[in-house]
Amino acid sequence: MTQHRHRRLRRVGILVAVPALSALTLAACGGGDDGGSGGSGGSGSADSFSFAFENASGGQQNPWQLLADQYAEETGVEIETQGLPPDSYGLSMRTQLQGGSAPDVMMFSPGAGNANAVLPLAEAGYIEELGEESASLIPQGNESLFEIDGKVYAQPTSIIPVGMVWNSSAASEAGVDIPEDQTAMLDACGTLADESKSFLAVAGSAPPNMGLMAMAISATRVYAETPDWNEQRSAGDVTFADSEGWQATLQTIVDMNEAGCFQQGAAGGGFDAITQGLTQGTSLGAFVPGAAATELANASPGLNLQVQPFPAADGGDPFLLASPNYALSINASADEGAKEAAREFLAWMAEPENAARFVELQGGVAITGPDENLSPVYEPVADLLENGDYAPLPNLAWPNPGVYDALSTGVQGLLAGQGDVQSVLESIDQAWDQ
Amino acid sequence: MTATMGTPQDTGPVVRGSVPAAGGGQPARSRRSRPLITYGRWWWALPAVLAVLLIHYVATAGGALYAFTNWTGIGDFDFVGLENFRRIFEDPASIGSLENTLFLAFGFLVLTNVVGLLLALALNRTLKTRYLLRVLFFMPVVLSPLAVSYVWKFIFDFNGPLNGVLAWFGAAPRTWLADPTLALWAVLVVMAWQTTGMVMVIYLAGLATVSTEIEEAAALDGASTWQRFRHITLPSIRPSVAIASTLMLIQGLRVFDQVMALTGGGPAGATETLATQVYKETFALSNFGYGAALALLLTVIMLVFSVLQQAATRDRS
Repeated sequence: MTQHRHRRLRRVGILVAVPALSALTLAACGGGDDGGSGGSGGSGSADSFSFAFENASGGQQNPWQLLADQYAEETGVEIETQGLPPDSYGLSMRTQLQGGSAPDVMMFSPGAGNANAVLPLAEAGYIEELGEESASLIPQGNESLFEIDGKVYAQPTSIIPVGMVWNSSAASEAGVDIPEDQTAMLDACGTLADESKSFLAVAGSAPPNMGLMAMAISATRVYAETPDWNEQRSAGDVTFADSEGWQATLQTIVDMNEAGCFQQGAAGGGFDAITQGLTQGTSLGAFVPGAAATELANASPGLNLQVQPFPAADGGDPFLLASPNYALSINASADEGAKEAAREFLAWMAEPENAARFVELQGGVAITGPDENLSPVYEPVADLLENGDYAPLPNLAWPNPGVYDALSTGVQGLLAGQGDVQSVLESIDQAWDQ
Repeated sequence: MTATMGTPQDTGPVVRGSVPAAGGGQPARSRRSRPLITYGRWWWALPAVLAVLLIHYVATAGGALYAFTNWTGIGDFDFVGLENFRRIFEDPASIGSLENTLFLAFGFLVLTNVVGLLLALALNRTLKTRYLLRVLFFMPVVLSPLAVSYVWKFIFDFNGPLNGVLAWFGAAPRTWLADPTLALWAVLVVMAWQTTGMVMVIYLAGLATVSTEIEEAAALDGASTWQRFRHITLPSIRPSVAIASTLMLIQGLRVFDQVMALTGGGPAGATETLATQVYKETFALSNFGYGAALALLLTVIMLVFSVLQQAATRDRS
């Protein structure tokens, strides 16, 4: 073989090798969903599993992380945790589930109305069916958020009340009591505005806060009288645009804006406006989940925060939103060993003392309802919780995340002077029907 | 002789393979009897071409296919034809995004080019502090758009410095980023503020090629400043105009960072652009099919405007 021929062969070799290597590299990067075993835990043993959850701060003091640490310490099971930012959590889980690299246990939002909702994933076959023990924890009336055709796909962890977080100390200083109804509230708004304070601090630039406000108000205007309103909407019997309750809800926001109930520059405010307003006492209340109120109170010693129901419409009765906003599920394509370990973890979570520990860490209410360990933050709504005068967070049962987005951005527009109540409600109906 | 008399840097004969043997009259049998470049074969570029085709064009075309589906990001999907595009043109929010995108793109194009050219003309010659000023005007370009946007968000805040300055003059404070009419202008200002320095540098490079002799001759012939700019400077920097305007138009059409950081597309979609809506529909609302249709539309718009732009600024001489 001549030297020239050697060189030619080498050139051909390089020519073949480079694309082949490129293809292999691409294939390796792409992963695949036909591997069968799936889960990123990868160990496949019954003494280890992986666990993903939302972690807004990225710190180690996240309640899910603390609980996982406690479980690992008690049982010796190894848990590989994955705390992800909330805004990209849903997308990360979808991508990992489809790529076959998802964790064995995942935190989700019940229902189908959020980007991190569990039911669309269960419908697509990515989530393992759970047993009776998990089913028994689902609060009555919330079954549709966890089940498809009677099969349970997620285990609730705690109940999170959503109302109005109220700075009692600042209210006392300002001489304002929690108003009984809308008229009293609008009067209080005027009084506070004269003192350069505000009844509420809102994050107008953050649509989710606008959506939460609308839902908290809808508790008394819509769901107190018609608890099954979402089911009626699904059946096509009612619409947002024709609902007097929803019209009243959005009109309340317009009236509050005109009465000066919100802080100055509310339309452009961020979440910092809420924390500053509440902690400095320049605003008396805010719409944040009850668990966040506990966190805020813990972070600011001396701050007396409590969850109050939003003032009812004139002549109405107080009502609250409270539901299991988080749930745990198991990856359907996890290894059998990891699945077993995951099931044991969920069973451990269901034990009363561990559930209570989680409630303590997260700042919610026990999944079985209020008990002697109820946080003082929820004292004003304890009667409502005990009497069952509450409905689940509405958007959990909505069919897609676009409905909540339409509500949130619509309310944001109302605050900024765009659009009107009717056009916002019509856009929500459109999003529902997509 | 050529080789021995040549300079050490003269490697041409070696490369061409025409170097005679040292000390001999017979030319040596060169190992490379042909110029090196002739060894190149078109298929040498094949791996790179394949990689570009696979990673860039095939992947993009694959993504574009989803524009004709109702995929939600998980599970199966159906082909829905042009349904997504019909929805786009029937949805006021999408039309609003399209309008905002075009407003920002053309506003950005005009603002950056006009201000950038004026700065370049001002800092081209004569001014003693021109080098310092060029650095100062160029500095925002090297910053992250997100960092710049968050600084401006603070400036535009209701309790921020801008309203503070207005208060000195007795003006009422404004919610700059929450006002539907002001928010889009605020985004445009931030975009232009950061990028004008880049355009200035492009025009400075163009102005360096303008002959001073011709300008001086025109001045001696009595041409005014405007006439010299119109008939000498501008034709000379036509390539710079083409580059700067094309780059700014494309950058304006795909604006994302500044909108997300300043307003998130709000209030109520008043500053939403096609790029932010693609992100929102795809990743926040899981409408992958609809998001892909919006992305495809944005790509087509960018392609059309870029071609038109190139045609408009082409050197016809």
